[in-house]
Amino acid sequence: MIHGHFIRREIARSSKQAILFCLCVALSLTSLTVFSGFSESVSQTLLTDAKKLHAADIIVHSHDKLSDELDSAISDHIRQGKIDRSRYWEFYSMVRTADDQASVLSLLKVVEKGYPFYGEIVLKSGRPFHDVLTPGQTVVEQSLLDRLGAGIGDSLQVGYTTLIIRDVVVSEPDRPVNVFSFGPRVFVSSKDLDALSLIRTGSRITYVSLLKVADDRQIEAIAGRLKQFASPDRERVDTYRTARTRVKRFLDNFIFFLKLVGIFILIIAGMGIQNTLTAFFNEKQRTIAIMKTIGATHRQIIRYFMPVVVLPALLGTVLGISAGIILQQGLARLLSVFFPPDMPFAVAWIGIFESMALGIAVVALFTFLPLLRLKEVRPVVIFRKEKAVPHKHWPVFVSAIGFVLFFFGLVFRHMQDLRFGFYFVASLSALILVTSIFTRLLLWILKRLRIRRMVVRQAIKGLFRQGNATRSVIVTLTASLSVIFSIYLLEQNLDTTYVKSYPADAPNLFVIDIQPTQQEAFSNFIEQPLIFYPIVRARVTAINDKTIDRRAERAKRRDNLGRTFNLTYRHSLLADEKIIKGSQLFRDDWTDPQVSVLDTVVDMHKMDIGDTIRFNIQGVPLKARISSIRTRTTDTFGPYFYFVFEKKTLKLAPQTIFTALRVEKHRVGLLQGRIVKMFPNVSVIDLSATIQVFARMMKQLSTIIKGFCILSMAAGILILISGVFATRAERITESVYYKILGAGKTFVRKVFSLEIFIVGLLSGILALVMSQTGVFLICRFFLDIAYHPFLLSCGFIVGATLLLIIGVGMVSTISILEKKPVIYLREQPDE
Amino acid sequence: MAILEAKALNKTYTVDHQDIMVLNDISLTVEPGEFVVITGSSGSGKTTLLTLLSGLDKPTSGRVFIDQQDITGASEDDLAPLRNRMIGFVFQSFHLIPSMSAMENIMFPAELQGLSNAEKKARQLLERVGLADRADNLPSQLSGGEKQRVSLCRAMINDPKLLFADEPTGNLDSKNGRIVFEQLVEMKNEQGATLILVTHNPEIATAADRVLTLRDGRLTHKIQGLG
Amino acid sequence: MSKPSQNHPDQWTCKLIKTAICTTTLIMVFFLYLAGCSGESASNEAALKTAAAKQTSRKTIVAVGDSLTAGLGVDESAAYPAQLQRKLADDGYYFNVVNAGISGETSSGALSRIEWVISALKPDIIILETGANDGLRGIDPDILIKNLDRIVSFIKANNIEVLLCGMKMLPNMGPEYSKAFTRVYPEIAQKHAIPLIPFFLEGVAGDPRFNQPDRLHPTEKGYRRIVDHIYPYVLNVIK
Repeated sequence: MIHGHFIRREIARSSKQAILFCLCVALSLTSLTVFSGFSESVSQTLLTDAKKLHAADIIVHSHDKLSDELDSAISDHIRQGKIDRSRYWEFYSMVRTADDQASVLSLLKVVEKGYPFYGEIVLKSGRPFHDVLTPGQTVVEQSLLDRLGAGIGDSLQVGYTTLIIRDVVVSEPDRPVNVFSFGPRVFVSSKDLDALSLIRTGSRITYVSLLKVADDRQIEAIAGRLKQFASPDRERVDTYRTARTRVKRFLDNFIFFLKLVGIFILIIAGMGIQNTLTAFFNEKQRTIAIMKTIGATHRQIIRYFMPVVVLPALLGTVLGISAGIILQQGLARLLSVFFPPDMPFAVAWIGIFESMALGIAVVALFTFLPLLRLKEVRPVVIFRKEKAVPHKHWPVFVSAIGFVLFFFGLVFRHMQDLRFGFYFVASLSALILVTSIFTRLLLWILKRLRIRRMVVRQAIKGLFRQGNATRSVIVTLTASLSVIFSIYLLEQNLDTTYVKSYPADAPNLFVIDIQPTQQEAFSNFIEQPLIFYPIVRARVTAINDKTIDRRAERAKRRDNLGRTFNLTYRHSLLADEKIIKGSQLFRDDWTDPQVSVLDTVVDMHKMDIGDTIRFNIQGVPLKARISSIRTRTTDTFGPYFYFVFEKKTLKLAPQTIFTALRVEKHRVGLLQGRIVKMFPNVSVIDLSATIQVFARMMKQLSTIIKGFCILSMAAGILILISGVFATRAERITESVYYKILGAGKTFVRKVFSLEIFIVGLLSGILALVMSQTGVFLICRFFLDIAYHPFLLSCGFIVGATLLLIIGVGMVSTISILEKKPVIYLREQPDE
Repeated sequence: MAILEAKALNKTYTVDHQDIMVLNDISLTVEPGEFVVITGSSGSGKTTLLTLLSGLDKPTSGRVFIDQQDITGASEDDLAPLRNRMIGFVFQSFHLIPSMSAMENIMFPAELQGLSNAEKKARQLLERVGLADRADNLPSQLSGGEKQRVSLCRAMINDPKLLFADEPTGNLDSKNGRIVFEQLVEMKNEQGATLILVTHNPEIATAADRVLTLRDGRLTHKIQGLG
Repeated sequence: MSKPSQNHPDQWTCKLIKTAICTTTLIMVFFLYLAGCSGESASNEAALKTAAAKQTSRKTIVAVGDSLTAGLGVDESAAYPAQLQRKLADDGYYFNVVNAGISGETSSGALSRIEWVISALKPDIIILETGANDGLRGIDPDILIKNLDRIVSFIKANNIEVLLCGMKMLPNMGPEYSKAFTRVYPEIAQKHAIPLIPFFLEGVAGDPRFNQPDRLHPTEKGYRRIVDHIYPYVLNVIK
């Protein structure tokens, strides 16, 4: 009974701390729920999506009929009911209209009945695919009809037979895997395979067996077994998991980012929990001391205060999980736009239970230290005799080790990568270590500054007031700001690399092999402004007269100097290029051949301005000096060139011309047909479908990323508030003394805001430096994307943070300022 | 048998790397039922002495025995039952727990001990000091005198053998001060407890069995009053 | 996370394109990545040395062609020009055989650079192997004919001997197209009265024993067979 009142009143008395504490718990649980649940369902979705991209669980590729060993192994599995099989044959062939008037290179897919196991072939008519694709019939892509001038119901000569065009295929689940193709799709039923009579000696056919595994858990095992039967060079056995695509690669990065943000938010929220609890118990210190004086043991005190902590924690848990579920749903809706509609985006209950358990762990972890500190409260503090109790060190060590283990475990569990777990924890520790060293240093310098102005002097003095936790506040603030800045920077970098790379007006048709003599005619034909890129193929033979070891180069897994490069010539930078070394593209004071190289080349081999590269341009040697080093600002589908020369150098070299253009999707087929007719040697690559899918997807993902940024910002604001609150008590006393001594409100306000400003500025600058370093490392070594510092917006965000800190600080001190000193003094039971 | 004994107590504070000696070689013995006043000018270290004698703080050197038990090396948790059952405190600034009502504050030590009749006992005490109608008020709703009477009840609820009072009337007007002081002495006598009281109020000092005067951290023994 | 080395954006662009390319063609010319990402081997360093050593009066054979000449996927020394040079030398014919193959090149590409090659390398004999990429991209055989016609005319106008390598189209490209394609080479050879190897990949094409897993590009063993096959034709030209 007495307990209930006590708890209620204690919470009410420190309602602000309690609310903050509750919010911190809620935040950590929200992030946990969202991440455990959401990333679970996203990766589930992605895997299912990956299944659709491959239309099967296991995919066996070969350029021959399957070897007997593999075939019988598959048959065995089918007989045992473990798998289903559907085969298809894919190859290029020239198809012609029945009247032989037009022909077009097409990509044939001869499919068996079961195809596809996952996903669905959507036909323009909406009818089921296999109802339409019966023997003697064919289903084709629209662009084929456009290019042949044919329509539904017309006959099509394919191989040695004639098929009737029955429908138009709108989408094909496993098409995106092969983004580039030289011709439109033609579907043929496997029953017509013999009639086509195209599979003969010398034919180049891709034989694919799609396998669907009855028991999902058996996929890897069965694939492993089949691999043993496959002949290593000729037959490839993949599961939908192992086959990587660019989309998957991106989504991997994306999930990695989300998880990183989630863990960061958790850390921030954890720090918030610790901050608010410490501040909370600081306020309770006197009560605790009285209790001890009366003879309460440590355990009894904990028993009294536990509910005071647990209640807001419980409330926070409920709040956090509810918010997490809502967020999950919202995100699911966002994602579902580009994921297949039948994908269940159910709330991941396991994720919720897991996050509950984790949430308790987090709360316990971050409550440990403040609760333990209770033990160190000596009853004598009620006499205000001994202010700074020397803290014992072991609890700090224990909790530090606890944090490290916990987060290492968390990172490891989510990233499934031991090395990354180490990196993560190491960098986190480094972050805190470096911050505290720098803080110490900066404070040391500040202390020694001689400042004339009283306001400034007082503010700086305030930083060093007895018992003030300036250093720990700065460390915490810096750590959390670093995290927020990092997330922001990472988001910006991901956005630039991926999202902005797919603008709606990106070119969707690439035209290659235009002859120089055709350029003008082609330009007139297209009737839109085009950029023509001359391409000269060449190899690099030596750098600074040191011959390139081609074999060693090719042994490198990355891009290397052993391959053939496309050189070009022009005198200006492309829109997405900038020079990072050298003053301009080419030097005016050099007369011998010059070359501007892309920074990617410098990554392959160390080189610098003035170094020489020897090329072999189709048999002819050319030595050029490096005049500048360029970098690309985006990672687009757009053209880029490693080596750019002056026109005079390459004018005479054999070259073809490349260009990219933007054409409305429905006009693509028609235009392609006309280009082929007018410029038969020119090849057109249609990227429109791919680009469209990417662009839409990127937009969705960017929305989600932004959402998480906001979440982390919220975490940051919370910790900010809690940090300011942590020092509130000291400031109250000070303001009272200022006022008693006759200082006006303005003076007090100035001193406080300046003090907070200094704290914010130090933290902000430190955080900026550290987040830049961190994001650089992450971009460079984990995501492998280009890194941009975004200095301007960073400056802006530091400014905004400062404003926010000062704002929060001011708001939290308003009540102090308004308080009459007398009332305060009366409340303060002093000797 | 002495209920309280101090041997060669020293207390030094370190401020800005400078040692300040607050108490210097203090030894004393208090017999059961005695009423001892510690007095001295401001800053003479009398409150510090009280904290050392009551085990709220540890001396830099020297030993304190309560009921023959050496408390100098005891941990906070070892001291807790001792404080709870043996000792009662009354402070100048009351130190009631702000989130507990008068009643709850008084009951608290008994509850810590796990007494079942805590409420009954608390009510009796409240009646005794004439505050029965204030039982459910929070400390912030009580006047200074009322607060001090509540804290007196709290100090007495576990029938302590040792009472420590630190300027119990220091924050009160003379009328309330007298009431509180009288009630304190009354209760002490009824209980047969020992009272150690810090004050610089000479009026109170006259009521003591013995007055110890502190000057610059040293004790100057002075017998006064009726003895 | 997989190893960073695999994650380079260019790398996966490369992989992606590779997937596409490998399923489609003898490698197309592409600004992004070209054949290079699957590790092209043949080098023209030999050519450079040859150019430098021209004064030693050795005669020069230039092998103009696409990836089948360049030797995509095998070592430079394993591609047919290097093997041919060794074989000739073994028999006492000291020629420099320059590899001027470019992966992914169509006959249009060959036409556009023939002047450059001749002026820079001053060959005595040219072995011309081109057109496979035209076929794989379904380019109209008429274009191939026109291009070959102009290339051969140009070579002859420069008083250089030319040996034309015939090519056949994969059966899967369809009967009409394959037929039209196969006719091209004898027609050109006849028109210009030049020696013709009827099918450059005779006994090699489509045979898994002589081809890399992509089933398009010969292995070192495949090239040995090719050299054995074309050797008499080359000797004929030399003599």
